[in-house]
Amino acid sequence: MQFFRGLWRWVRRDRFAEDLEEEMRLHIELRADKLEREGRSPADARYEARRAFGNAAAIEERSTDMWGFISLDQLGQDLRFALRRVRQNPAFSVPIILVLALGIGATTAVFSAVDAAFLRPLPFANPHELLTLPRVNVPFEMQREEANSRIIDIQDVAGMSHVFSRAAAFASGDLNLADAENPARVKAGVVTAGFFATLGVRPYIGRAFADEEGKPSGPNAAILSYGLWQRQYGGRDMIGRTVMLHAKPYPVVGIMPPGFSFPNESDLWIPMSIPTTFETFGPFRGFLPSRVIARTSPGVSAEAAAAQLLARWEQRLSVQDSTRRTNFNDYVQEVRKSGAAVPLHKNLVGTRDRPLAILMGATVLLLLIACANVANLLLSDAARRRREIAVRQVLGATQRRIVRQLLAESVLLSLGAALVGIALAPAALSLLRAMLPADLAGLAPAQLDLRVLGFATLLSVGTAIVFGLWPAVGAARQDATSTIKSGGGHGSTGRPGPARQLLVVAELALTVMLLVGAGLMIRSFERVMSQNSGMKPDRVATLEMSFARSSQGNAERLRVINGTIERLRGQPGIEAVGAVNDLPLRGGGGVGLLLNVPGATHKIPESMRFARYLMASGGYFDALGIELLRGRTFTAADDSLGSRVAIVSQATAKAYWPGSDPIGRTFSFPGDTVPVTLVGIVADVRERALEREPGAQMYLSIDAQTPSYVAIVARSGLPPATLIAQMTEAVRSMDRGQAVFNVRMMDEVVGRSVAPRRTNTMLIAIFAGLALLLAALGVYAVVAYGVTQRSREFGIRSALGATSWSLLGMVSREMVAVLLAGVGIGLLAAWALARVLAALLYGVDVHDPFTFAAVPLVLLIPAAVATLVPASRAMRVNPTEVMQAD
Amino acid sequence: MREPIPPGTLDMLILQTLARQGELHGFEIAEWIHRTTADVLQVEEGSLYPALQRMLVRGWLAAEWGKTDENRRARYYRVTAAGRKHLEREVESYRRVSFAIASVLQPA
Repeated sequence: MQFFRGLWRWVRRDRFAEDLEEEMRLHIELRADKLEREGRSPADARYEARRAFGNAAAIEERSTDMWGFISLDQLGQDLRFALRRVRQNPAFSVPIILVLALGIGATTAVFSAVDAAFLRPLPFANPHELLTLPRVNVPFEMQREEANSRIIDIQDVAGMSHVFSRAAAFASGDLNLADAENPARVKAGVVTAGFFATLGVRPYIGRAFADEEGKPSGPNAAILSYGLWQRQYGGRDMIGRTVMLHAKPYPVVGIMPPGFSFPNESDLWIPMSIPTTFETFGPFRGFLPSRVIARTSPGVSAEAAAAQLLARWEQRLSVQDSTRRTNFNDYVQEVRKSGAAVPLHKNLVGTRDRPLAILMGATVLLLLIACANVANLLLSDAARRRREIAVRQVLGATQRRIVRQLLAESVLLSLGAALVGIALAPAALSLLRAMLPADLAGLAPAQLDLRVLGFATLLSVGTAIVFGLWPAVGAARQDATSTIKSGGGHGSTGRPGPARQLLVVAELALTVMLLVGAGLMIRSFERVMSQNSGMKPDRVATLEMSFARSSQGNAERLRVINGTIERLRGQPGIEAVGAVNDLPLRGGGGVGLLLNVPGATHKIPESMRFARYLMASGGYFDALGIELLRGRTFTAADDSLGSRVAIVSQATAKAYWPGSDPIGRTFSFPGDTVPVTLVGIVADVRERALEREPGAQMYLSIDAQTPSYVAIVARSGLPPATLIAQMTEAVRSMDRGQAVFNVRMMDEVVGRSVAPRRTNTMLIAIFAGLALLLAALGVYAVVAYGVTQRSREFGIRSALGATSWSLLGMVSREMVAVLLAGVGIGLLAAWALARVLAALLYGVDVHDPFTFAAVPLVLLIPAAVATLVPASRAMRVNPTEVMQAD
Repeated sequence: MREPIPPGTLDMLILQTLARQGELHGFEIAEWIHRTTADVLQVEEGSLYPALQRMLVRGWLAAEWGKTDENRRARYYRVTAAGRKHLEREVESYRRVSFAIASVLQPA
């Protein structure tokens, strides 16, 4: 009701203004009449009546204020005035707009990335029904165990139809896509026939895999991603056409909808048979880790499904014979630990949510610092304007009007900042997406999150309004005359209020927290990089090749590998050349094998149970700088005709042959009785990640076991470009048609392996740097304001004999207290919160004393500069000038 | 000597005046308060019209244009039911406060 009455009055506002004017005119006339009757002259009476009435315009304004709606005309006026002020005062408005825009843009971009990576539901039908089943197998056709004693596999799961409605398995690997014009290396999803149905995703065009395509030696088939279809084939009709993958023809049967690329940003999908055969993973060097997923039956909760599955595991354990019981028990223990069934979403997000959450936290800290900074700038501006406000008050502006004026300014500034921030956010997001490693980027395409954009904008608009108005209300209430008389605005009373000092304390504390975080991350990064990787990757170049053509049998492969090595070895400047099937830190996942050591009774640690199965040439160790500790490396005699020999890493030797010299000892592979003799021990290589302890590693001679994929490694002092060109040429000279890829320096391989850590560290460091800048700005604003406010006082003091140094001391001392408080609170908070970083740190304690000691020092320098620069102005105050200014 | 009206009491005075007198225009309200208080209280004309406007908005007063005795157009105000209720509350609380003040000031 109130509202409509107000609206009515506002619509008819001209009428009301006229009414009021008429009423007031009558009043003045009647008053004048009365005064005349009392004996004044008509002119005198009229003058007196008007004087008694006061400022008619002000009364009218106050009266119309009562209408409940701000007059739009006035609002327009306020905005015009505000715009003028904002434009004429760039030193004030530009920092505010930039700082707020930074906060809005950064928060929105980071949150949108976080959202895409792990908050948004998976782009599958009923994603909550989808579970990952850790440790469930996809059987291999050669498995010989009894059905009821083997590890639970996907067929067992499919049989539990009361629990799971569907089950599927997937793996991901790289393939050569042959194409006359544009050969490419593509990411392939290797998936069981029921994969798409399990996820509840239908092809965009064509069909999903048929059942027979998912059976051993079933027909080949490929499904393309929308992206690859557009990129590689320009979106032309592909159904029924054949693509050459790993030198084999695959007819295209379907194309997936845009945006679908699960798992691992697949370009295309090919079938995985159940059970798997040698052919299934043939193109992928014989092995890909596969994962089993299942969809729960209607009405079955994830917990119930997990409990049923665990019961099945326990039952399998109970029927194991004594020889297998220990191993199987270990296995079931693992299942219990990880959970027999884990929501797919959780499983996919699992390891990535922590870095992104921390990034999000850092952004929120930055937004808070930005807001505190803007509040600070607004407060000092309002203090400077006390005199202006007082003058306007005396000239008849009402308090409401002044507050509205300041409000208009705050809103204008923050909306300007919001616009810049909104313009900035998409650019920041795409930059962030480009910087984030693929496994952090998530499944869904990132979109700007409008809710966050709204939230960040509201927060900054709110900050601007609250801190723009709070002092203004106080100023408008103040006694205008006394402000003007005391020369307010540069009077002697204006020390920075506690509110502003508290804001700076808060800013400093938040900055310290970010700096500690950044410091810990940087220290970890250093630790990781200085980690002894077991190899010397500098001055080493590598290239990779994959022998896909059926004409390339073992002999032909060896001809190319050894021919390339021989050719390079003879060239000047090249110190060592070798080949290996699995380059360290390349991140492709290798094959692990159990080793049977005759007569061994001791327990092998879990982490050493599977030895990495590596095939290397004799020169490989020298080329990559892997130290030979005992024995010898491979020679040309260690070929398929010679006796089987192996080299193991130091940790492997210690784990399998503790306390004895293993050279000359033998072991065998499971299901194989031929003994393999140990001829050498080499250093442990951190091949999975620099920060991961090396597991067991075992090398066989490449001449005896020839892989279908190989990396050539060469060490040389030649310039990288020359070295790489020579290596490529060497391969070409052996086989013109041999494709090579990943031609690069080993440093780059190492660099890529630490890319996620580098990105996280860099982002947090950037945030900390920005925070430092903002905090310095905050300190500067407060000190500069204090100096300006007190220039008169300094003038008097200096006239009374204070030295300029004592003035400098006076100003700085106040800041020292603020600094100490900020740093102290920040360090305490960082100490308490550091644990959240633990998962991201390596080799550094979360309470690393060096970092905690260094951060205050890092903060000290900009803070000192920000204090001393404006404070030194206090030294230069000229007493006469200041005294004469009023 | 003329005293300005103590803050907060203006609304009450206007309401009371109109409650007693029925319909008055602005000048009459000011004059009436002035006369009734034997020239002690003076309604500042600058605050009268905003106060009238405010009470009109709140629904305590109603207004209608009419003619004065001298045939001039004037806006006449009267108290509404809501205005009377508000007046009662105001008077009540004013009584309490002035009684309290009086008892403090009473010579012991």
